[in-house]
Amino acid sequence: MFQKILIANRGEIAVRVIRTCRDMGIRTVALYDDSDLGSLHVRLADECVRLASGALYRDVATIVQIARDCGADAVHPGYGFLSEHAEFAHACEDAGITFIGPDSATLAAVRNKIGTLENVSAAGFAVPRHSARPYGESETAALMDAAETLGYPLVIKSYSGGRSHGTRLVREPEHLAPLAQHAHSAALTAFGDDRLYIEEAFLPGRYVEVQVLGDRHGALVHLGERDGSIQHNHRKIIEESPAPGLSDAQRDELCGQAVAIARLLGCHSVCTIEFVIDDQGRFVFTEVKARIQVEHPVTEMRTGIDLVREQIRLAAGEPLGRTQDDIILKGCAIQARINAEDPWNHYLPSPGRLRRFRFPGGPNVRVDTYAYGGCDIPVRYDPLLAKIVAWDVDRVACLGRLRRAIADFAISGVQTNLPLIQRILDDPDFAAGTYDSEFTRRQLLNTLASSGNLRDLAVAAALAYARRSADGNGALPERASSGWHRESRRLPQ
Amino acid sequence: MNRLSVTIDGHVFTVEIPPLNRATNEVSMIVDGQEVHVLMPEVGGPEPLDWIIVNGRPYELVIDRDLHWMRARSGLHQVEVRDLDATVARPASGDGRVKAPIPGLITRVLVAAGDHVEAGQPLLVLEAMKMENEVRAPRTGTITHLSAAAGQSVTLGALLAEIE
Repeated sequence: MFQKILIANRGEIAVRVIRTCRDMGIRTVALYDDSDLGSLHVRLADECVRLASGALYRDVATIVQIARDCGADAVHPGYGFLSEHAEFAHACEDAGITFIGPDSATLAAVRNKIGTLENVSAAGFAVPRHSARPYGESETAALMDAAETLGYPLVIKSYSGGRSHGTRLVREPEHLAPLAQHAHSAALTAFGDDRLYIEEAFLPGRYVEVQVLGDRHGALVHLGERDGSIQHNHRKIIEESPAPGLSDAQRDELCGQAVAIARLLGCHSVCTIEFVIDDQGRFVFTEVKARIQVEHPVTEMRTGIDLVREQIRLAAGEPLGRTQDDIILKGCAIQARINAEDPWNHYLPSPGRLRRFRFPGGPNVRVDTYAYGGCDIPVRYDPLLAKIVAWDVDRVACLGRLRRAIADFAISGVQTNLPLIQRILDDPDFAAGTYDSEFTRRQLLNTLASSGNLRDLAVAAALAYARRSADGNGALPERASSGWHRESRRLPQ
Repeated sequence: MNRLSVTIDGHVFTVEIPPLNRATNEVSMIVDGQEVHVLMPEVGGPEPLDWIIVNGRPYELVIDRDLHWMRARSGLHQVEVRDLDATVARPASGDGRVKAPIPGLITRVLVAAGDHVEAGQPLLVLEAMKMENEVRAPRTGTITHLSAAAGQSVTLGALLAEIE
């Protein structure tokens, strides 16, 4: 087993990985840049190294050199950043350091998303119709031609990145050019590659994915599915397992297809096979994620398996040591992502200093975060502040527990999407499990919060006003003094 | 007693509130003619109000600095407070100065000095928290001053442009 692991990431996933390493008695090395100095992952690690160069957490050469210098025998890349970067995995292999994930050849193969679609299609599985090649920013005319051939609605996707950055849903032809321009720019910002490809969109659909686990000796199992259909700007907000609305037969078929596709693509370590389910109930394979995912705790709550521990064990060459029959999927788990952003103000990011940050508690409630009261939420990185997961024996009980836990989560100092999550969880279609990918188009923001004693809240508002007036600095509300905040909005993602 | 009109999610309440004494934890006030007893930390303190107990019912709160909303266990509530004893003249919004709504990096500037812009027209793109955010014109007019350039890092509230 490894003696020391470098965590080439930040935020909640770095904390998550460090905790498992410590559980396993493995020493950890954290990386940080100046805006992350106060983050929890730096405090929890055994050693920490400052990143000072331009590319920071994406700097392949620097990070490999740090790993060598500190004597790490493995690197955990987390998600995002270098997690699916074949050249980084290759550089680690060359340096004699184990990359905790698939080998560089497998990563390079699945990172070729169009080639992967073609391989999977050739093996007889359904895939979306898609463009034959990716297009750079200078190839707008060729992209328009490809879109004309494909038809609408379609999805623009980043050729070398994950879901949230560079992905754009295009419903009408006239939106293609501006959305493609935004997507090129966002993909370049996030992944250093502006190339995009397009594939057919299924509306309404459901985004369902299957977690698979495989060793380097050919053993492969699945750990059930997750539904991630509740998204805003292509960023998942709620994920749950099991996916509501699938029959047992459909579920078996889906998981069976996922294992077959994972085997076909040579997946090992922790991988996710992603599908869209169209309104006819047809499964369409879309992508492989060859890394740990943000929503992995949902699967951990149902299986009792520590996926990061498995990832580390499998990277060390240990056998899977489980058959499909050993995997028992229990109850229901639902996760919500808490972002430092303001849904009522065009989803503008809300960096700043956390004043109060108190977790909910109770049985089967888990919070993964890098934050604590008094810490700074940096402006440089994505707004994911915390993940909250609840488990219970069935979906009704699980939903009740998550609702309670969200209501108990006390965060002040920065704006968060907690009230939006409350409204999603209270929505009758969400409660019934009959939602689809069009769910967040509805007017969630305009509905009223569930009752509450409004008279008592009026008392609180009056007191807040009187305190502020007494303090002398509140005569002019901050936002009334300038018009800018109202005039800004986040670009469509 | 200071008289306030407080609207919560469209419901209007009239609140009569005494001068606040910092050294105490208790205060009584009148809401729509009925006396209400409140317990809270440092009644007249300068900190944002975190929790209060109203007639034996405890609340944990996050209250917007501008008093437009508050978050309680029950969710997000819209708030409006009007001081019935004083007529507060609100300044006209949008004085033509465009300021950075968040600290970040300017990735694109979409207009030039001297351009005529319509209210709501995108002026520039500001990247923060890995997201691109569009900053739009607060009013119709001509760009008289443009200090934003692509690649430039800006702090919160930095003046980016002026429209006249």
